[in-house]
Amino acid sequence: MEFFASLSAFPILGAVMAAGSSRIEQLRRLVIIIIWLQVIVAAFLCAPVLAGGAALVRFTPDFAVDRISASFLMLTNFVAACSLSHSPTFFRNEGLITGKTVPPEHERLFYASALLFVLAMNFVFVSDNLGLLWVSIEATTLFSAGLVYFSRDKHALEATWKYLMVCSVGIAFALLGTILIFAASQHGAVPGGSLNVRQLLGCAKQLEPKLLELGYIFCLLGYGTKAGIFPLHTWLPDAHSEAPAPASAMLSGALLNCALFAIWRVTELVRLTEHHAICETVPVFWGALTALAAGFFLVHQYGIKRLWAYSSIENVGIMLVAIGLGSPLLFFLQALNHSVAKVALFLLSGNIIQYYKTKDLSQIRGLLQVSPTCGILFAICAAAVTGMPPFGAFIAEWLILAKSADAMQGIAVGMLLIALAISFVAVSIHVSKILWGVPKHEVAQQETFSKYLIPSLLCLCTIILGLTALPLIMVKPI
Amino acid sequence: MMSPIDLCVLSAAVLACLMVGSLHLRLNLWMYGATTMFIALATAMTAQAHAEISLIYIALLIAALKSAGIPLFLVWTSEKLNVHRDVGAMIPPPLAMHLSIGLFALSFILTRGLPAPEMEATGWYGAAAGISLLFTGLVVMLTRRLAIGQILGFLVIENGIYVFALTQTLGMPLLVEMGVLLDMLVGVMVSGLLVFKIQKSFEHIDVAQLTSLKE
Repeated sequence: MEFFASLSAFPILGAVMAAGSSRIEQLRRLVIIIIWLQVIVAAFLCAPVLAGGAALVRFTPDFAVDRISASFLMLTNFVAACSLSHSPTFFRNEGLITGKTVPPEHERLFYASALLFVLAMNFVFVSDNLGLLWVSIEATTLFSAGLVYFSRDKHALEATWKYLMVCSVGIAFALLGTILIFAASQHGAVPGGSLNVRQLLGCAKQLEPKLLELGYIFCLLGYGTKAGIFPLHTWLPDAHSEAPAPASAMLSGALLNCALFAIWRVTELVRLTEHHAICETVPVFWGALTALAAGFFLVHQYGIKRLWAYSSIENVGIMLVAIGLGSPLLFFLQALNHSVAKVALFLLSGNIIQYYKTKDLSQIRGLLQVSPTCGILFAICAAAVTGMPPFGAFIAEWLILAKSADAMQGIAVGMLLIALAISFVAVSIHVSKILWGVPKHEVAQQETFSKYLIPSLLCLCTIILGLTALPLIMVKPI
Repeated sequence: MMSPIDLCVLSAAVLACLMVGSLHLRLNLWMYGATTMFIALATAMTAQAHAEISLIYIALLIAALKSAGIPLFLVWTSEKLNVHRDVGAMIPPPLAMHLSIGLFALSFILTRGLPAPEMEATGWYGAAAGISLLFTGLVVMLTRRLAIGQILGFLVIENGIYVFALTQTLGMPLLVEMGVLLDMLVGVMVSGLLVFKIQKSFEHIDVAQLTSLKE
């Protein structure tokens, strides 16, 4: 009971206050306090695993964290805290710069659904039960629909509808997969069946192989839709592009990790059985294919946030390869580096859209002239996302490539290399067009410290991540 | 030998196939309600056969919420928006109905290879009914243009998955089952509200026309 109370108290309190509060300035401050308190709560819950060396902390029979889920829990809360801390500045500027004041009730709904969304994501990582994991992931879809719908225009409606329908149907297949895994556990492994992750891992070899394999494929398909795997990614660019920048940052930096984490959970299970070939070749190949397809999509992009959405799909592909390689460390390393840089990029893109009053890439020129601070930060984060040294993503991608080569996945390595090269060139061209040149029309902007605070902190994080992880590739291979 | 439970879930699957043949929204929704009532009945019978008390609660919840509540809500929505018929997409309804009957037959072939359930709930017929409902739901989603039709398709898919779980595993743990039901109800509420917004902004709820974000 204390566990549920401690994990959900702050988000629920915040959501209730957001829905009921009438003073928007107070609410903005309150949300920032609440979300950082949530980070502290998460740190407190994860401390025995992350700092104390314990392999697992069990809260209730169905809720526990192990090392990888604790790491993701911290990352998710950190991403949410950064995005929500930036959002008051974002909404204030929306009124000041673009002249379209955000109605207070819209902003209140935004905070309420964002906090509930964060809570649902927290439950994804603490669920030690595949059924509850599914329930939490579906809950993230429902709560984040409110974020995508934020601007309430035709585009936002279309994106929200698509998001709800595509993800719900996709996730329904993951439910079927979960049921098949449950059925597989009833054949001799656990009397009456179980969905408990530890219990299943303990008796993986006795699971009925045919049902388990079918279940794995359906889970991969279902959670893959939510993670934006090619060709099931159609909802992703629309939702990321139509949501306000702080929400896009959370979708890309936290939500995609949730879906990939669910894939990791089932992969981890199938890996222990004698039929592990399926959970190696399928994710590796599919991940590489996703990265490659996203690379091609990146070339012709017309919207600034769509560009980063496709770049997220590319990274999802790379993370899926890491999952297929069976390395939780590489999976987390790539997710961490991607999330940190991508959140900064989405937040900066929000600022840029406010300056130029358009999302259209062809209209955004001369950023270095308009705002040098924003331009430099933007360039650094873009370089980090494409995997340039010395940033963290370079190390993670390098290790993933090396490990795929070790695993004799030659085709996947080739596809990944082409994908990385194409996306690097595509992003560089788009970004250099944004940075240089002359603005096409008068650009309104006011430089304030607050709108660069979070992006520059994240920038610093990605550089530190790169420099501290450098010994990983110089000392010993993983 | 076919048990009464098998009979119930197979009737649900056949009824769902027949539903595809009509584009009349209200009729569709009530047929969905009847399908779900059969499933609730099957749940109650399974509960009795295996002395599983938790399944009784699930059966009651399904009967009250899914087979009465959701159709009522969606019928109310369609009345309020003044839409009574779907326009239909891709293939005409009679053909779609025959397609789903064909898929009904196919699901028997597909599920034949599955290992028989350990719990000896019902087995083969149940799995086939579940997969057939899933196919029917997909057919509904593909052949409907209106937002309400899409929601209906999703609901039928969910029913199929539930039938599969019920007959193959005697239903999931209670906590999980409740969570799934809650998620689904919230999902229907959210998408129902969204339908109103779509009507307000676009003056129609033909989601096939929402294509401005395509590249």
